[in-house]
Amino acid sequence: MRTKQEYLIRYKDGNLYCELADIWIDPSKPVKKALITHAHFDHFTFGCEEYISTKETAILLKERVGDNIKIKTFEYGEEFKINGINISFHPSGHILGSSQIMFIFAEEKWLISGDFKLQKDETCKQYKIVKTDYLISECTFGLPIFKWDESKKIANDISKWITNSPEKTSLLFCYSLGKAQRLLNEISQTNFKGNIYSHGSIHKMNNCYKKLGIDIKDTIKIENKKKIDELKGSLILLPPSLSKGSYLKNFKNIQTAFASGWMSIRALRKRSGYDKGFPISDHADWDGILEVVKKSEAKNVFFHHGDSESISKYLIEKESINVLFFGK
Amino acid sequence: MSLNNFSKLFVDLDSSNSTNNKIEYLKNYFLSNDPIDNSWAIYLLTGKINKRFISGRYLKNLFSQIYEYPEWLIDTCYLKVGDSAEVITLLLKNKSTSRKKKLSNISLNELLSKTIPDLSKLNEEEKNFKIKNMWETLPEDNHLIFNKILTGTFRVGVSIGIITKSISKLINIDEEIISHRLMGNYEPSIDSYKLLVNKNINLQELNSKPFPFLLANTIEDKIFKHSINDFQFEWKYDGIRMQLIKRSGNVSLWTRGQELVNESFPELVEKMSHIKDDFVLDGELLVWNFKEQIACDFSLLQKRINRKSPSKSIQIKYPIIFIAYDLLEINGRDIREIKLENRRIELEKYFSKWQNRTANNISDIFKICDLIFPKDWPDAFTYKEKSRENNTEGLIIKKKTSIYSSGRKKGIWWKYKVDPMQLDAVLIYAKGGSGRRAGLYTDYSFALWKEKELIKFASAYSGLTNIEIKELDKWIRKNTIEKFGPVRSLKPEMVFEISFEKIQTSKRHKSGIAVRFPRITKWRKDKKINDADSLENAYELMKNIS
Repeated sequence: MRTKQEYLIRYKDGNLYCELADIWIDPSKPVKKALITHAHFDHFTFGCEEYISTKETAILLKERVGDNIKIKTFEYGEEFKINGINISFHPSGHILGSSQIMFIFAEEKWLISGDFKLQKDETCKQYKIVKTDYLISECTFGLPIFKWDESKKIANDISKWITNSPEKTSLLFCYSLGKAQRLLNEISQTNFKGNIYSHGSIHKMNNCYKKLGIDIKDTIKIENKKKIDELKGSLILLPPSLSKGSYLKNFKNIQTAFASGWMSIRALRKRSGYDKGFPISDHADWDGILEVVKKSEAKNVFFHHGDSESISKYLIEKESINVLFFGK
Repeated sequence: MSLNNFSKLFVDLDSSNSTNNKIEYLKNYFLSNDPIDNSWAIYLLTGKINKRFISGRYLKNLFSQIYEYPEWLIDTCYLKVGDSAEVITLLLKNKSTSRKKKLSNISLNELLSKTIPDLSKLNEEEKNFKIKNMWETLPEDNHLIFNKILTGTFRVGVSIGIITKSISKLINIDEEIISHRLMGNYEPSIDSYKLLVNKNINLQELNSKPFPFLLANTIEDKIFKHSINDFQFEWKYDGIRMQLIKRSGNVSLWTRGQELVNESFPELVEKMSHIKDDFVLDGELLVWNFKEQIACDFSLLQKRINRKSPSKSIQIKYPIIFIAYDLLEINGRDIREIKLENRRIELEKYFSKWQNRTANNISDIFKICDLIFPKDWPDAFTYKEKSRENNTEGLIIKKKTSIYSSGRKKGIWWKYKVDPMQLDAVLIYAKGGSGRRAGLYTDYSFALWKEKELIKFASAYSGLTNIEIKELDKWIRKNTIEKFGPVRSLKPEMVFEISFEKIQTSKRHKSGIAVRFPRITKWRKDKKINDADSLENAYELMKNIS
């Protein structure tokens, strides 16, 4: 058994770090070399000397933060070497371009799951099962109370929610990258055939997805001075940051909803202040995490992001999996 | 007609903030379901079923046994969710793959009149089997309703007023009639629903039921522009608001919560039945200090509220009185439409008649409220400030020309409450909330100084805004000294202004005092813990009022 310092990948200053390659994974502060699993802002920070990601992640990042960053890109499955360590990206099914990262050194395999989901999502590559010795998995929804419905069912619920209130303007709040495009894709396959508007930040990402060959339904970019009658019975996608404050005063006779995995809990739904919550997530649910742990055939598992205590204890007690802990 | 419809209604009601939508949902439900299911729906939605058939703990243990989930894991989930019934519902979703049986299509009536009550007739093993079977055969959408009814935690944001409005709209009859029909012992049956939606108003059927209560609004400044002579002033007692009804010789005591409480106060029922006239009185029930002629503390009344058929010794130890404010009906004549000042004359007239002519002395259990006659508004203020001396909460101000309508009508009655007492205290413990506040630390304990030590003196849950709750929750997580189960002891740093209505000595508390209705009224970020009040300050408050 090795000490924590001897792990190929460990926690350092709150981030995943591979000392042998001197490379960080989704670091929260500027470093020399950063591997980026996907283009969400909580996985990215400005000021690193060099970024490495998939091609899609790089394009999305540049669209969001500008061209002024140095990014090296690789295809899924393409191996590259840093200080003798073999590194490769593999689809994680979270959003377009999102990846798991595999490290191989001295015949030992370390897999970082990144943010992932197993559910079907036509706007990104399906999660790929990768076998490994060590697995570092996220567990944002690592409790058995989280069990996702099929996204088709949620999309139908959303469609019904809109069409049942034809007099109202339906505002659906969702993350502008990933969730919004997935919802658009799903909603366009339901009975709802009305107009869909999206906020500038979402519209930009939609276009980016289209450029990358993803089939996204056309939406109208929402202008501030839209006539209220025009919006009646239509759907508007907005980022959650606009749910509080004066932005909503631009609309009259609205109903609001939030699309997020957390909305499966009634207390959170009530507290959120939205009229309705649609539980749909781009993270794995409890069963999803367990499935990945099992199918990866990892002998050693680490968890991070979320309630890692519970899922670790469960796997140790019930499945006799060797769960390890990073020192903080 | 299936439970599915009711589950759908629950989801609709639960995810709507609009009263009008809720009324529509209810109306549509009533239109498309059987009278018997409708009747049960009303019964459930008005909170009449609050019996706990199975405890949340029992349910969690049972789930843990059947599906081999460790109990600690279920408990961890509970901390996130805050409701046992919902935790089990969410966990069952994860078990849906193990469901093979054909789904049952049970009606709300069958569930509530048979399936659930029958559980109590079974032994533990049979009961467990039955619950498991229900979990496996009920459609997933019904699990939450089933679990919530089992654990006596069924609640949804629908007031009796919304139900009243929806039925009133459904059959196009005045809300007040519907409200009247919904009062009292509404038992679910086809007949009771048919009676409720009967388009013909039958005076006979209304006979034993109370009138809808008229409620007071918080005082508004504009009242001070009116002449003081336009108003009648009464003390605001802190007891149980009630209607005392005698019709065709039968006495009934109805609380504002629409409960018939004859059994708890038999001595009052007995005494009042000797009066020759029939009547409906609006008033307050109190435990009374006859020697000093003032109300006793509410805590003494609590000793009587939930006790049915109290013994003679309890009756003597906690002597009650009914103080009548108003006369609403006399010998079958509804006088709610005549002016308050004239009703008062009637009330006084009948009271003196009853006192003189009733064989049994009624004055040891019944009186009419004394009126107060402030000469101007500043004088009214002085009376209000003195209200603690006679154990009242302030004044009730009633417009003399008002009729007795129902509900919280504006501009008729006002409550002029004495300002709460306040102390600045230090936050020392926090506990996780439940229900809507699950996953947040929302139950707080506060301490006062006793020399150099902080002594806990009150717990409070309410008063902070949602934003403040979140902010404080963050602070709590960062400043925990120790965890004891769900409770955290905290670094003494935060000072809050705590308001409360009453303060009295208590042997049960380490601080030696107990306060009533403590709540947070201000987060004193401007104060350091050394600025907080001491127990001495609290004792001082007590001295000032007694």
